[in-house]
Order: sequence, then structure tokens, then C-alpha cells
Amino acid sequence: MSDTTIEPPVTAEPETPVGYDDGQDHIGLAHHTATGLSNTKLAMWLFLGSECLLFGGLISTYMLYRNRQASAIGPDQLWDIPFTSATSFVLLMSSLTMVLAVSAAKRKDERGTRLWLTVTALLGGLFLAGQVYEFTVFYREGLGYTTSLFSSSFYTLTGFHGVHVAVGIIMLLSLVGMLAKGKIVGDKAETVEMVGLYWHFVDVVWIVIFTLVYLIPA
Amino acid sequence: MSRRARIGLVAALGVLVAGCAQDAPQDTWDPAGPNAEMINDLDWIVFPIAGVVGLLVVGVIAYALFRFRDHGQAIPEQTHGKPALEITLTIIPALILIGIAIPSVSTLMALNETDDTECVINVTGQQWWWEVDYAQQDGCGGIAEPIITSGQMVIPVGTPVLVRGTSRDVIHSWWIPRLNGKRDMVPGRVHTVRLEADEPGIYAGQCTEFCGLSHANMRMEVIAMMPDDFEAWKAQQLAPYQAPEAGTLAATGEATFVAQCSRCHQVNGLEDADGQPVIARPDLQVYSGAAPNLSYFMTRNTFAGASWDLLTAECRADVWEADAAVVGERYLEGVSEKCLNSVDLREWLRNAPAKKPMYADAEKLDETDGLVRGMPNLALSEDQIDELIAYLLERK
Amino acid sequence: MAIIERPTETPARAGAGGLIVATPSSSYGYLRRPVQTTGWKSWAFTVDHKKIGIMYGAVAMIFFFIGGFEALLIRLQLAQPDGTILSADKYNQMFTMHATTMVFLFVMPMAAAFANYMMPLQIGARDVAFPRLNALSLWTFVFGGIFINTSWILGGAADGGWFMYAPNSSVPFSPTHGVDFWVLGLLMTGIASQVGAINLIVTALNMRAPGMTLMRMPIFTWMALVVQFLLLFAIPIITVALFLLLFQRNFDATFFSVADGADPLLWQHLFWLFGHPEVYILVLPSFGIISEVLPTFSRKPLFGYPFVVFSGAAIGLVGFGVWAHHMFASGLGPISVAVFSVATMAIAVPTGVKIINWTLTLWGGKLWFTTAMLFAIGLIVQFTIGGLSGVTHAVAPSDTQQTDTYYIVAHFHYVIFGGAVLGLFAGIYYWWPKVFGKMLNEKWGRWNFWLMIIGMNLTFGPMHIIGLQGQPRRMYRWTENRAGEGFFNLGFWNLVSSVGAFVLGLGALVFLVNIWISRKNPPAPADPWDARSLEWLTTSPPKEHNFDRIPTVHTLDEFFHRKYEDVGEDGSHDFKQMKTGEQVIAEEEAHADEHIHLPSPSYWPIILAFGMLIIAYGVIYTPLLLAAGAAVVILALFGWALEPPTADDSEFDPPSSDGGQPSKELAHV
Repeated sequence: MSDTTIEPPVTAEPETPVGYDDGQDHIGLAHHTATGLSNTKLAMWLFLGSECLLFGGLISTYMLYRNRQASAIGPDQLWDIPFTSATSFVLLMSSLTMVLAVSAAKRKDERGTRLWLTVTALLGGLFLAGQVYEFTVFYREGLGYTTSLFSSSFYTLTGFHGVHVAVGIIMLLSLVGMLAKGKIVGDKAETVEMVGLYWHFVDVVWIVIFTLVYLIPA
Repeated sequence: MSRRARIGLVAALGVLVAGCAQDAPQDTWDPAGPNAEMINDLDWIVFPIAGVVGLLVVGVIAYALFRFRDHGQAIPEQTHGKPALEITLTIIPALILIGIAIPSVSTLMALNETDDTECVINVTGQQWWWEVDYAQQDGCGGIAEPIITSGQMVIPVGTPVLVRGTSRDVIHSWWIPRLNGKRDMVPGRVHTVRLEADEPGIYAGQCTEFCGLSHANMRMEVIAMMPDDFEAWKAQQLAPYQAPEAGTLAATGEATFVAQCSRCHQVNGLEDADGQPVIARPDLQVYSGAAPNLSYFMTRNTFAGASWDLLTAECRADVWEADAAVVGERYLEGVSEKCLNSVDLREWLRNAPAKKPMYADAEKLDETDGLVRGMPNLALSEDQIDELIAYLLERK
Repeated sequence: MAIIERPTETPARAGAGGLIVATPSSSYGYLRRPVQTTGWKSWAFTVDHKKIGIMYGAVAMIFFFIGGFEALLIRLQLAQPDGTILSADKYNQMFTMHATTMVFLFVMPMAAAFANYMMPLQIGARDVAFPRLNALSLWTFVFGGIFINTSWILGGAADGGWFMYAPNSSVPFSPTHGVDFWVLGLLMTGIASQVGAINLIVTALNMRAPGMTLMRMPIFTWMALVVQFLLLFAIPIITVALFLLLFQRNFDATFFSVADGADPLLWQHLFWLFGHPEVYILVLPSFGIISEVLPTFSRKPLFGYPFVVFSGAAIGLVGFGVWAHHMFASGLGPISVAVFSVATMAIAVPTGVKIINWTLTLWGGKLWFTTAMLFAIGLIVQFTIGGLSGVTHAVAPSDTQQTDTYYIVAHFHYVIFGGAVLGLFAGIYYWWPKVFGKMLNEKWGRWNFWLMIIGMNLTFGPMHIIGLQGQPRRMYRWTENRAGEGFFNLGFWNLVSSVGAFVLGLGALVFLVNIWISRKNPPAPADPWDARSLEWLTTSPPKEHNFDRIPTVHTLDEFFHRKYEDVGEDGSHDFKQMKTGEQVIAEEEAHADEHIHLPSPSYWPIILAFGMLIIAYGVIYTPLLLAAGAAVVILALFGWALEPPTADDSEFDPPSSDGGQPSKELAHV
């Protein structure tokens, strides 16, 4: 009845091609894929590629509507460039700490990994706190979500980015917890690297948003 | 070939030859003006090429299917293709397409000319009818005072007309197939389309951008007439208000109109009992903000988004199928009591949304702050309807 | 001794007692991995690409019949002037849902079914790269499709047309929740497509068998790969549009409110930037299918394989640059229109290349007219008609006469029914014995084919005339006033079209009959069609691990070349069959790999998808439900991340035979 066993080959040994991936992700083992990239890494790159179009669409919407302010409230009255520059700098620094986390993971320095992941999450949290503060200020000055096309598209764009940062922070903290409890399924260094890729992407997107939304005058 | 097969073949050919409707009012291949003509000329380049290419491909496939069917031949050579042949067969369609692209771009540019037109007419789409207005201008043979009408646009023959259009709510599309292609009329934007008719006549059209519930009931017509007739029409549209004779049914109808209809529908020159002008404020009732002006209602011969006739079937045929020489004259006669299609008009007055689906159910208008989209059921009595019809019959 | 670390077809001994040893909970996430091999659980929690493919196909078929039923109601309404079968409101919902169902819930998932099932087999892999993500795609699609369709009984379906132009889709103009259901449902099927795209791209790029270079990949896999890239880049764009609409309708944003200064054309650009690649997403899989079917039944390789590959890629690429040809009447300005007009004509070239190559594949062959072959030939002819009518409205001035009329309806049905659907049926008939190990009945297959071909030409053929003679689309009624004179007026053609629709429907029913009467057919031969590509290099249906030995590929059409040898001399060619398909497969079985690792089933994909379903209802009805859904999603995500790669050996029934020592080198994510 059982299919679990198949009779051993009668003839010669089966040829096992060198450097071949049998179709499964060999976690923790050196293995080869047709492209040389691991499945997860390739998948992450593809995902980030599609994310570019998501943000592309949102940024285009913002660029179309940035000058359509029903009331007088617009970037001129609201933007606090020094403040936003500071939070942007914080987010940029978090990319640096993320790099440190990945390199620690590659050295199998688990304490260092956890430390830098935590710092990255904290910096990300600081950025988010800055964004929440900034939104609160804008809101008090009269820029609600539905105030104008400018406000809707601004909050939608930066909100989507903020959600991405928040998801990143959750991933970072979960990673720290799972590392501490030894619950990572698979290659730890690669898992850290994946989260790192995502985190860098979110940072790069912010650079674009910061430049287009805040720095270039409408 | 058996007799039956022969009959079948003849019948099939007959279908091909006579396969199209005759005199379809919106036939794109029956151009009646230079703009539609240009497009039609282009079609006569593209369609034959497409037809020949299609027949060629199908013919080659049919031949291959017959010739290479399995009749016991050996397994064919496992050839993977011949690049030279491939490239040739890629270049040929590319060349054909370049051949098509050149005239199509030049026609496109010609159709987008706007500076050589001699008459400007505005259209505004609204769920689910078109408003047509003529601003004061030297064009169109001179318009002294603005003219406003709906559903039917009257143009002078042989004059290049520029239609400037927009919309008050959703996107609509202005399309008079025998005169030109369609153009979307988008809220917040003004789009233009050229129109010109060679011959007097009535050219039917239809809104072609899906615009909600009664999209199917949003039609329009362009009536092209000789310049003399057009002058007469303009005079008709600017004639002063004629109050009904006191004591007639129409006079009662005037009061009913003021009470029931004038909140939305303007009749120019109408005065209330106190002698004050009656000004319609459709924007307080209708979500999209307007209602057809009824000052010269019976000079038009369709109503409710040009979806129903104001003329009975026989009278309609007298105008719509008239020779080019007399169509303008007949149209200018307007709707007489004898010719009035009172069946549809009564149904409309009795309960408009039942005849033409509209968002007019008071209970379901939360999302539009109680404003209707289209005409609500006014619950008029039969007497009131009689009075209104008598009154409206004089609006020309 | 080969060890397959996944429960096999052996039924589990339910409640055997004592066998399942309690394992420390730390080795599981929240839940143990399920191990059922029979019953509904073996399907609901499966991560096997073949089972997932079958479910994709079955659910898509159900939606095909739902969408078809909607089409029949539409045609009933239009058979006569001033039809009264449907109210205006219901009619508008009907054509919106007909298109939505056919595009998003039938053709796309049906193509996904083939890609899921066939791609790993065609490239010699044991599964897709991310089996659990694959299950997630399936269930998100299934729940999304169900979600959209529940709008019928929850206040009415979406009524803005599948293109859902703004501002007609805004709340004042569409006050029911129909559009909300539509938006959220499409977001869900979008997630399904997106996840599936990433998964299948990684599969095709990374998991090819040794020797399977890109230019030896079977053409269906190639076309499926191109489609996944199109999805990857098109879905995010519609996602943005859908979110904007969602926020407009539910949070009072004003992205499409003209009164606030919005430009309604924003929606059109976003929608068609997705919508045009979508057309190729629909047809390219079928192009791939018939590029497998035609060579098989012509007994010669696909003519110009590299040309077909590159033209497919070119179509995909240029497909992103022609979206505005859906907007020639929108008022873009003549320069943009001219550019998009010419670009659109340019895309006809690679499309023409495909038709030429298919024709030349037939040329010189030894043609075997099976049902699958008939459908494939049907595709070439019908799609050629659709392609040529497409060229007539690439000509922008002509398009202003044609767009939004039945001529366009005719055109895209020749493209999508003639191009995509006929190809999918070719695939069904071709691969049915592969998937189910039984042949479909060929006689009924012919009835199926001919009824569908006659039906589609009767239905969509007259629409060319109806449209060119001026009948716009999306009208719940047409009137005799505008139908013209003579016997062959538009009324006649509308009636013919309606009759044709029922013939087409009958053809579809015959397909069901065929499945029914074929259910007791004897097992199909392993290589019934004398096929050419790798998916036939294993038993039918394939074993759970696909291949006993991962094949080494030496050439395009590997399977064919293992059977046939060129014995011609001095430059002449003479192909002689040296082995039967069975012999080739037996050879592989004799050299079975040791240690075949397959991941265990998982609860989390279906739970995660279900959480999204709850969120979707929550957005429409109450934040409480939304929060509950979000909780389920978060729980599922952590459960997923913490899940061990496979069930404990002790849970296998029977337990794996070497004492639970095999290495656990298994897929995660």
C-alpha cells in the first residue's frame, strides 16, 4: 500500500548532477539555483520591484495633485524642512544600523545582530513618531485628510510609506524575539538579510518622497 | 453541387451582400459630412488591407490543414525554423503598418483642427440628457442673444461647426456617427469636436461613454438645415414669451407649470401671478444642477434625453424621412396638437422614473443630500397632466 | 531507498491512537502541520502545486459558468428591442460582473491553474519555489471571488462597468456597496496574482532541472513567465487605483471629485496602465498552450522557437506602452493620440510573428486533428480576426467611430474568447490525461469544439456589424428607431447574436457532459499524444514528487528526443521511434532519486486568506469585523513564520521508515 518506498535502482547508480537544486530550498546548506540567487532573495527582489510601481503610482498621483489646494493651506505654510530633514536623517541612520545587523548575522554574532536590529527598529520608531507628530501639527493647522486633493494625496502617499515602515519595525522586533528564542526557521543570516533588503528599500523610497514632496518647490 | 447546396451558397452570399441594415441612423459607414468622410476614407484603406491579410492567413492555414493532414507520411524533419524567412515575414507586416500609420496620423491632425470653424456650439452632458447652447457670437451667421435648448442641436448646412463640450457630473461622450467620431465630455475639462453636414437632415447620435443607470436613454440629434431655415430657427428660439389666452386649458396649465415644474424647468419670460419673473433653480433639486429649458419645448421633436418622440409615428416619418429640400421647413413646424405623441409624454408626466430609470426615489437619496438625479415622480393628477400638455403645446 | 517526506496517497488511520507522540510544543509554531492525505483536509491544507492547480482550475470553471450565465441574461435582454428581462440597474450590474468574472475569476485563474500545474513539471522541478505561498494565492483568489459575488445578495453588485470609470464610480453615482465589494474583491485577487507571480518567476528562474537552459524551456513555461512579469508590474498599478477609489468612497477623499479639482482622467491612466498589460496577461498563457499543442500534433518542433519567445517578451514589454489607445476619445490631445496610435500598430508586429510561426509549424507537418488540436487551430483563426479588427482601431480616427460600440465588443471577444478561452480549452483537452490519468471523450470533444466555434462566431460576428452601424455598448435597451431598415437590420443581428450565445452556452455544457461521461474511462496511456516536453516524462497523473529522478535536459523537446532518433544519413533526416514514452518513463523510475524532500501541508495559507476575507467584510460593514480579521491575519503570519518545515516524523502514517533521521532540508516561506 505504501508509496513511501521505491525499489532501489537495479542498474547503475543514479547520476546526481553537481550543483543542482532538486527543487527545494535547502535551508542552511550551500546550494545552487539556476540563477545563483537563493529563492527567497530573488523573491524579495521581485517583490521590491513591484513595490516600486506601487509607490510610483502613489507618487504620480501626488505630483498631479500637489498644487490643487482648495484652501490656502499648502506646503508653504506647513513644511518644516529642518524637522523633516532630521527625521529623514534618523531613517537614513537606521539603514546603517541595518547594515551592521546583517554583517553581525553573517559573522554569526547573535548578540550583535539582536542589538543592531533593535537599534534599527528604534530608529524606525523614532521616524514614525516624527511622522505622527508632523501629521498632528498639519492637522491642527487645518490640513485634514479630506481638506483638499493635495492633502488627500499627501497623506495617502506618506501614509502608505509609514505603514511600510511600521511593518518593517514589526518584522525587526519579531526577528529579535525569534532569534532570542531560537525560533528562526532556516538560515538566520539570510533571514536578517531579507528583512534588511526590505528596510533599505523603504528608506530609499523615503529619500525619493522627501525629495519630491518636501524639497522640490511646488 | 446539389440544388440545396447551391441555394445555401446563394443565400450565404446574399447575407454577406445585404448583411447590413439599410439606413441605420447611426451607421458609421454612411458619412454625411467631411469629418466622417475623412474617417470613412481611412477605413477604406485599413479594412480592405485587414480583410486581404485575414483571408490570406486563413487561406494558408486551410491549405496547410488539408495538405499536411496525416495521410501516412513519415515524421517530418525536426526543423526549428528559418531565420531569413522569419525576418522577411516580420518586415512585411511592419511595412504594411507603416503604410497605415501615415494616413491615419495625418487624418488625426486634420480632425483636430479648431481654428477654421465658423460656428461654436456648447454641449453639456448631464445624467441623462444633453444641454445645447449657443453663446452670443458672430459665428453661426450671428447669434444676437444666447440660445439654449436640449437634446437636439440645430446647425447650418455646409458650415464647419466646433462643438465645445463638458459635463456636469460623470463622463459622457458626444457621438453623431454620420458627422464625426465621438469625443468624451469630461467634467472639469472642455473638449472639442468638429461637426459639419453636407446635406440638410436629422443625424442621430447617442451618448457612448457609460454614464450610469440610464446610459441607454441618453441620446441626441443634430438637425442640419439650410442657412435660411437656420435663421428662422434662431428667430424661433428668441421669440418673446407668449402667455396662453386667459380662460383656456393652457392658461390653467401655466399655473400648474409654475406650481409643479418651474422649480427646475425654466420657461423664459414666464411670470407668476404677481407679475414676478419665474426663475428655475434646478440646482436646489437636482444633483447635477440643471434641467432642460422648456421655453420652446415643442420646437424639438424628442424629449427626455431624446429618448422618446414628441411626434406620433406618422408625423415623425414626415420629418425624419423628408427630402433634404424640405426637412428644415418641416422641422421648423414643430409639434402640433394633431402630431403630438401624447402617449409617451403622458406616461412621462405621470411617473418619469418609471419610464426612464433615474435616481429619484426620495428615500434613497442620502448620498446626494436628498437631491435627485433625473426627474422625480410628481404624482400629478390626470387633470393636471391635461393642463400641462395644453400649456406645453404652445411652447414653440 | 527513496524517502518521500510528505504523506503520500496512503490513507491516514484516523484515531489509530498511540501512534502520535506528543512532541514539545516548541517544535511547532502554534499548530502542528497537518498530515491528512485524504478527504477535504488533504485539499484545504495542501501545498502540492498539482492539487493547487486542480483547485484553481475547478474554481475558475465554476466562475466560467457563472459569468456565462450572466452573459446569457445580457443576450436575452438584448434579443429584442426594449428588453425587459432585466431592469436597467440589474443590467448594469450584470455586464459589470460578467466582465469582472470572466477576466479576473475565470481566464486569469484558469491560466494560473495551468501555470501552477505545468510549470514545475515542464522545467523538471518537484514543486514551486514557495509551496505555502502557492496555497495562499489559491485561497486568496477563491475567497476574493466569493466575496465579490456575495454582493449580489448584499445590496447589489458593482454597476460601473469593469473599467469602473471615475467619477461614475463615486458614492453619489453608485450609492450601493457594489463598488466597494468590487474594489476589495479585486484587491484580494490582486494579492493572489502578485504572490503567484513572484512564486512562479522564482520557480522558472531558479528551479530548472540540470541542462534546462532558458532557451530550452518549453514555450508554455516561457509565456507563463512573461505573464508573471506582466502581473508583477501591472498589479501594483491597479492596486493604487483601487486604494484611491476605496479611500474616495469610504474615507471621503476627493481623488476623483471634480468639484474639488480632481481630474477624472487619472483613473483612466492608472486603470489602463494595468488594463492593457492585462489583455496580454489573458492571452499569452493560451499562446503558450497552443505553442505546445500545435507542434505535438504536427509532429515537428515549434517553428522559430526563439522568435516566438522574443515576440512574447516584446508583446509584454510594448504592452506597457500602449495603454492610452483605450482613451483615443477621452480628449488626450492629438500628439499623444498619434504616439499611442503608432505604438499600438507596432505591437501588431510581434503578434503577427506568432501567427506566422504557428502557421509555419503546421506547414510540412503530419497533422493529427485531436480536439486539443482543433481548439488550437480555432485559436489561430479566431485570434487572427480579433487581431486584425484590433488594427482597425489602432487607427485613432477610426477608433473614434468604433470605441464604445459593439464593434469593440466583437473585437475583444475574438481576442479573449477566440484567443484566450479557446487556448485554455486546448490545454484542458491536451493535458486532461496528464492531470487525471484519463482521456476525455474525443467525440464529445468535437461537439464541444464545433458548438463553441459556431456559437462564438454567431454571437460575436454580428457584433461587428451592430457596432459599425452605430449601436453603443453597455446599453440596457436598444430601440428600433435606431436599428435601420430591411430584414437584416440591427434587430436581426441582435437576435442572431443572442441565439449564438445559447449555442455557445450549449457548447460549454457539452464540456461538462464530456467530463461526466469520461469519468469512467480506463486509465490513459502515459504518452497518449506522442508528446514532446518534460511534463510527459513522468506518470499520469504525476506522482506527488513529480519525477522519480530529476531529469537532465539536453535539448528543447527533451521527451521527444528521448523517444526518437535521427537515423538519416548524409544530411538527410529520418526520425525513427526508438523507445515508447512508457519505456522512457520506466527508465526514469528505475533510477529513482534517494531522499526526495517535500514540505508538509500547512494550515496557515488558508487561514491567512480567510483573515483577509474577514477584513474585506469589515471594511464594508463594521470596524469590529475588521479588527477580528486583522487579528486572524497577524496570528496566521506569525504561525506561518514559526512553522517548522515539516511535520514530525512520528506523525506520518506510516512513520518514515528510517527512524526519523532524514535531513530536514525543506522549503520554507
